[in-house]
Amino acid sequence: MRVGDAWRPRLVARARLKFDPVGNQTMILFPEAALALNETGAAIVRLCDGARSIDEIVDQLSKKYDNADRDALMREVIDFLDTIRARGLLQ
Amino acid sequence: MTAAPRPYTLVAELTYRCPLRCVYCSNPVDFHRARAELSAGDWRRVFSEAAELGVMQLHLSGGEPVLREDLVELIEHARACDLYTNLITGGTLLDEDKLRRLRDAGLDHIQLSIQGAARESAETIAGVRSHRKKLEVARLIRQTGFPLTLNVVIHRLNIAEVPELIAIALELGADRLELANTQFYAWAAENRRALMPTREQYERAEENARAAIEKYRGTLEIAFVQNDYLSGDPKPCMGGWGRSYMCINPAGEVMPCHAASVIPGLRFETVRDSALGDIWRDSPAMNAFRGDDWMMEPCRTCARKEIDFGGCRCQAFMLAGNAAEADPICRLSPHHSVVESMRKDSGAADPLIYRDAKTSREICKA
Repeated sequence: MRVGDAWRPRLVARARLKFDPVGNQTMILFPEAALALNETGAAIVRLCDGARSIDEIVDQLSKKYDNADRDALMREVIDFLDTIRARGLLQ
Repeated sequence: MTAAPRPYTLVAELTYRCPLRCVYCSNPVDFHRARAELSAGDWRRVFSEAAELGVMQLHLSGGEPVLREDLVELIEHARACDLYTNLITGGTLLDEDKLRRLRDAGLDHIQLSIQGAARESAETIAGVRSHRKKLEVARLIRQTGFPLTLNVVIHRLNIAEVPELIAIALELGADRLELANTQFYAWAAENRRALMPTREQYERAEENARAAIEKYRGTLEIAFVQNDYLSGDPKPCMGGWGRSYMCINPAGEVMPCHAASVIPGLRFETVRDSALGDIWRDSPAMNAFRGDDWMMEPCRTCARKEIDFGGCRCQAFMLAGNAAEADPICRLSPHHSVVESMRKDSGAADPLIYRDAKTSREICKA
């Protein structure tokens, strides 16, 4: 499934973000499992509030990461969100 | 000694009291001997210590955890520690009002057991009338806004119902369905001959489950937990002894898994006497099978020793008489023939042994 223009992603009800102070990483927690995110992944998921579109998420990230190539960033965000959605964690 | 890794998961068995009498119950057969339950204050301290150690997931289990009158307070504290908090319940004591209070306390998720798809067979397993109430509670859980995992322990008496169980999970709007084949410990080991499915039954159930996993991907997550006697694969039990998981029983004893009390010679320290971190790192029981120094052949030189950790220590003790042996599920185990005869030993008309305090006392006397 491809990420559509209209999609405003957010975590599904059973999943939530938690910072793990022992591993110094952000994790998505859900029943019976957890998924560790790298710093970029965590920044992306934090922006997935069900209100922002993919475009808006990429805009926010571009501001955060100065000089980022917007097209490359867009591809990275879409690939990442596809992966997390395939795990059933985003809607 | 291997350095202690961080724990991710804590199962808190809040009580052994339970209104159900399920014949596959994983509580120890001698549970009637258990000492007094930990207080709310003990559990609050334990949850705080667990979160500091790096625990992410907290499962509130039992017995029936809803019997604890301080359950709401415990959940509030678990969420204050930012633990992902799951209630594992039989559901029969829940109603709309209680569910709202659990939600307001911050409970993340509910795992509800049902014993089958048809009322009669389900209640034969549970040993009490409960099936309709459970389905009603499942609906209330969804209406209250909780994510729901439906858990069904699978065995010979309900294994043909897998398609109907999937239909029920879909109809209830469950997020997950666990088709958990019986693991033969505790009460399930007492009832093994009656509960062991035939190979044909097992393979059909697995086929149905695999097809449904693909078909409902994205709608309903289905987990098929294997029967290791029939799959033939030693399970990487608990992800390895003392690696990521710990269980605390109602009296506060800290164990690497809920079944570990069957292994003789292990003395479990309690959170009444010591800090959880000290027990996790240093207790002899938690270190007994960490790493691979304890391994015997064929595990010691096996290419799979970091994959399955030699299988289950409790099963090694139960079937080979020594917890440091390879799990006899493995065909390389010198004791594997025991498993071969047990897996063929299905369908006995033995009377079912129900899990309750009276029977627990009788078995211990015998």
